[in-house]
Amino acid sequence: MLIAALRRVLLSCITLVMLTVFIFIATEIMPGDALDVSLSADEIAMIPPERLAKMKQDLGLDRPAPERLLSFLGGVLTLDFGKTLISKTPVTAIIGYPLRNSLILAGAVLLLAIPLALTIGIAAAVWQGRAIDNIASTGAIIGYSIPEFVIGTVLVMIFAVAWPVFPATITASTNDAALTLLAASPLAVVTVLIGSIAYLARLLRTGMVDALAKDFVERLRLTGIPEWRIVFLHALPAAIVPSLTAMALYAAALVSGIVVVELVFAYPGLGQELVRGVTRREVHVVQAIALCSAALVVALNFLADMAILALDPRTRRA
Amino acid sequence: MQQASNPIIECSGLSIGYADMLGKVARVVDEVSFRLGPGQSMGIVGESGSGKSTLARALLGYLRGGGRFDGGRLLVDGIEITSTTFTSIRSLRGLRVAMVPQNPLASLTYHMPVGRQVEEVLRSRRGLVRVEAERRVVELFAEMGLPHPETIGRRYPHQLSGGQRQRVVIAAALACDPALLVLDEPTTALDKTTEAQVLELIQHMRVARGAALVLVTHDLNVVADVCERVLVMKEGRIVEQGLVSAVFRQPEDTYTQTLLGASLDLSGAAPSVNAGLKPLVSVQDLTFRYQQSGWFGPKNSTGKPTLDGVNLSLGRGEVLGVIGESGSGKTTLGLVLAGLIAAEKGVLMLEEQSIAMLAGKRQPALRRRIQTVFQDPLSSLNPRQTVATAIMRPLRHFFGMNSKSAREKAASLLADLGLGPEFLERYPRQLSGGQQQRVAIARAFAAEPDVLICDEITSALDASVAGQVLGELDALRQKHGTSVILITHDLAVIWRMASRVMVLKDGLVIETGATADVFAAPKDAYTANLLSSASRVRRLGQDTTLIEEPLAHAV
Amino acid sequence: MTLFFRRLVRRPLTLFGLVLVGLHLLVALVAPWITPYDPLKLLDAPLEPPTEAYWLGTDELGRDFFSRLLLGGQISIIAAACAGLIAAIGGGLLGLASAYHRGLFDDVVSRLVEMKLSIPSILLVSLFVTGFGQSLAVLVLTMGLIYMMGVIRTSRAMGLVILEQGYVKAAQLRGESSFAIILREMLPNILDLLTVEFALRTSSALLLVSALSFLGLGVSPPTPDWGLMIQSGLQSIRSEPWLVLAPSLCISSLVIGINFATEGVAGLLGLEAARGATGK
Repeated sequence: MLIAALRRVLLSCITLVMLTVFIFIATEIMPGDALDVSLSADEIAMIPPERLAKMKQDLGLDRPAPERLLSFLGGVLTLDFGKTLISKTPVTAIIGYPLRNSLILAGAVLLLAIPLALTIGIAAAVWQGRAIDNIASTGAIIGYSIPEFVIGTVLVMIFAVAWPVFPATITASTNDAALTLLAASPLAVVTVLIGSIAYLARLLRTGMVDALAKDFVERLRLTGIPEWRIVFLHALPAAIVPSLTAMALYAAALVSGIVVVELVFAYPGLGQELVRGVTRREVHVVQAIALCSAALVVALNFLADMAILALDPRTRRA
Repeated sequence: MQQASNPIIECSGLSIGYADMLGKVARVVDEVSFRLGPGQSMGIVGESGSGKSTLARALLGYLRGGGRFDGGRLLVDGIEITSTTFTSIRSLRGLRVAMVPQNPLASLTYHMPVGRQVEEVLRSRRGLVRVEAERRVVELFAEMGLPHPETIGRRYPHQLSGGQRQRVVIAAALACDPALLVLDEPTTALDKTTEAQVLELIQHMRVARGAALVLVTHDLNVVADVCERVLVMKEGRIVEQGLVSAVFRQPEDTYTQTLLGASLDLSGAAPSVNAGLKPLVSVQDLTFRYQQSGWFGPKNSTGKPTLDGVNLSLGRGEVLGVIGESGSGKTTLGLVLAGLIAAEKGVLMLEEQSIAMLAGKRQPALRRRIQTVFQDPLSSLNPRQTVATAIMRPLRHFFGMNSKSAREKAASLLADLGLGPEFLERYPRQLSGGQQQRVAIARAFAAEPDVLICDEITSALDASVAGQVLGELDALRQKHGTSVILITHDLAVIWRMASRVMVLKDGLVIETGATADVFAAPKDAYTANLLSSASRVRRLGQDTTLIEEPLAHAV
Repeated sequence: MTLFFRRLVRRPLTLFGLVLVGLHLLVALVAPWITPYDPLKLLDAPLEPPTEAYWLGTDELGRDFFSRLLLGGQISIIAAACAGLIAAIGGGLLGLASAYHRGLFDDVVSRLVEMKLSIPSILLVSLFVTGFGQSLAVLVLTMGLIYMMGVIRTSRAMGLVILEQGYVKAAQLRGESSFAIILREMLPNILDLLTVEFALRTSSALLLVSALSFLGLGVSPPTPDWGLMIQSGLQSIRSEPWLVLAPSLCISSLVIGINFATEGVAGLLGLEAARGATGK
């Protein structure tokens, strides 16, 4: 058990290191260096070559790629993502609070989505083929077929324009307390929540339908064990295990959804910084945000693996 | 054979239908009538799709999705299953009627210790408190002959052996002392030795508890062992029923005769050994181990070998039978000989020339000379290719034939196997299992092989079809002078086809010899055990001293 | 095949989905000929309400909104379908090759797939856009690569099952090349899966393209595009809500249509397993 857990810790670490390398390669090995990328051709033409060389030297861009990769990895280990190219602000200072804010949003969504999705998924599977299942399954497809920014704008139209109970955009500032922030952004939470519930409920329904078709469920029914015991004590753990293996996919989708929704509601999170970073071509900011979200996905995936270890004794053999 | 007390099962004209996706109802059980007295035992036999499992589940008022009662009456323990409420059916289940399903591993909840699963039955159905239930579970486990009954309950299903799992399932079924025990293929997933032990346990429990027993199986030997009465089903109907001793001795229905004919009958003669054949294939000291890929550290190659120093020789035109239970290594032997996996040590010779282990490393001519027919006929044909494409492929690959002559040759091969040219354009799914296997055989013979490896080629087929396919294979083999290595668990097939036989157990060759000699006087206890468990039906048929009246005591 | 259609008719939602997708494709196809006005031309005062001349009024620059709406799906659909095609074909072949060869190749591919699954697609596109600059080609290729990873996973899993079948073993024993076995014996058996994957990945790509356009990282103005139109319509959401609602309805109905159709068809093909493995 312990060995199996340690193995997964190690695997997660390896994945993180590989992701860091990958992020570096995707952004810095490509044609041109960070400076070429962040300045337009016109700007480069304006700067005298000597000064450009000096700028590159200051930024360490004249060093060979492997050397820069090593210093990038070293920086990541000490949580130093470098400075912005233009304003020379430390990246950590830029993304600190937004990272916290995005995590608050993600946490709120997860806290609400998991129990709701469990209820819907189980109900749909238990009453498979009945009205509740048809409504839930059809609703789920619709739910994840509508882009988040459409759900967000429609919610704004209804609850901020037509019937103004909530503000259309979030007025809280970046370093407000967590609860102040959440109180200001119910529409944002609901928007991400809809997609999340649709995705998770569908996953759980599939897992539950499969679990309820298992031989052991038939044996229990033939023994006259009450249905609630079969559903909750026997089938549910067996349904959750396969759903957990799809956790990485869900976590990635969650981060994508949050990025978009932050833009719709002007929520002061990483999504805002990301778009600003990409449009201004601040390579270090984009790198840091990509790394943070990848780390979040890896962490959620690790938690899912631990849950699988707890639920499925067959996986405990190292 | 009327009993004074009320029968435990009374079934008259019962029909059960299943609705398909388009709403059409297909009858799976068709006007079935029988009765079973308390404490009696009855076997239901038939091939897959005969409706026997559906009937068994109906005894507990359980129909799988889409099923419904389609007429007739079914009374179990005085309760009218066909028309009662779910509550009263549930009052039967576990308490009065219990079920032992087919696959013990899948039938136990994998994430729950086995002790708790039996405990759950006692607590939820009998209302025992925890301490009492725990104590009872230990007693039950001891009664079932499980080792360390006090502690084994803490284990998970995957930590038990197949036989132990089935004992746990039986313990759960017997936990509330039911009056009727229904078993669905209870020993199919077990090896012969364990099967014998589990059957003994079932028999013992029945006598000790006085429960009536319904045993569903495709294996007539199991019925001969355990049951007093037998009911033979085909396509949802009962074709014959009566006392086991009577039915097996003098089957009236032709279908029952076919089923019995497929069981081991040593009254004829096995093919004789042609002495002085030059060996075509010889294998020396073949050892194979499945590699367990370790995540960290080197690959583990210290495990038990699947094949352990196997020697064999096969003469030209000879049929060598390879028998053994599942896990004995016989399938692995086939794969190594075919060249799909490489043995870690040993020599493979064809006509006294050493050949490479893997097919990919052999000369094309060598690959052509060794062909294989696989167990599952459907999976051995590509579902996206027509029969013509499948058979023409080796003709074009090995002989460079053009499309026209390859097609003609394919048609003639099919004709040898009793299939007309209209089959050329069909896809595998449009064929029956027997036809699919014939195509696979035709594809193998298209390469004009010297050696044909057949791995359980009839085990997926119905008894009557299997007989025909074997007959056609034998004719083709003789026509082409092909040597055959026939791998099977079915001793009747060996007796019919093979002149020599080799017995494998745990990767070791236990004995080799002329089929007639080995079957008449097995040297090894393992072989004797295989033979005796396969010929129980026959012994019953020949034994005239059998009790005519069933044991109807202890009710 | 007729049975397939008879079952199809019994699934109203699947039919509804197919009809929706058909309509959208038809409009996207004939839009250049049926738009009343040039979608790029500044015709009138900005933010005109709907009139007989301009059915849906004019946008914030005074262009005919109805014409822009008709054309607003074209680029996204083409980009998404290209990405879906790259994903399905590349993923199918790589997945089968990975299943067939196991060993190092398989390890590398599996590790790559796992890594990709850890980076949210929006971020991956952002990374590449930062690295390569913003262009439709980069976008399509990146999306193709992203969704290819998922397809590799499903087709590798199916490939491992196919590999155990007798017909593949028979081909191996004949000594056929791995290339021939993958193309002739294995690929035809995952075509159903790849068709479904193509549809699923296209719908995911549609969602991603429109989200990126909305964020200003996808289709660039002045090209008419639903995502962009919703973004610019937000400024006048109080006075002209239809400027947001109409494109919202378009993009949503298209994706809903694809997903309803795929859901039903996948079910009829017996590919439920494939659906569970797809994310947004």
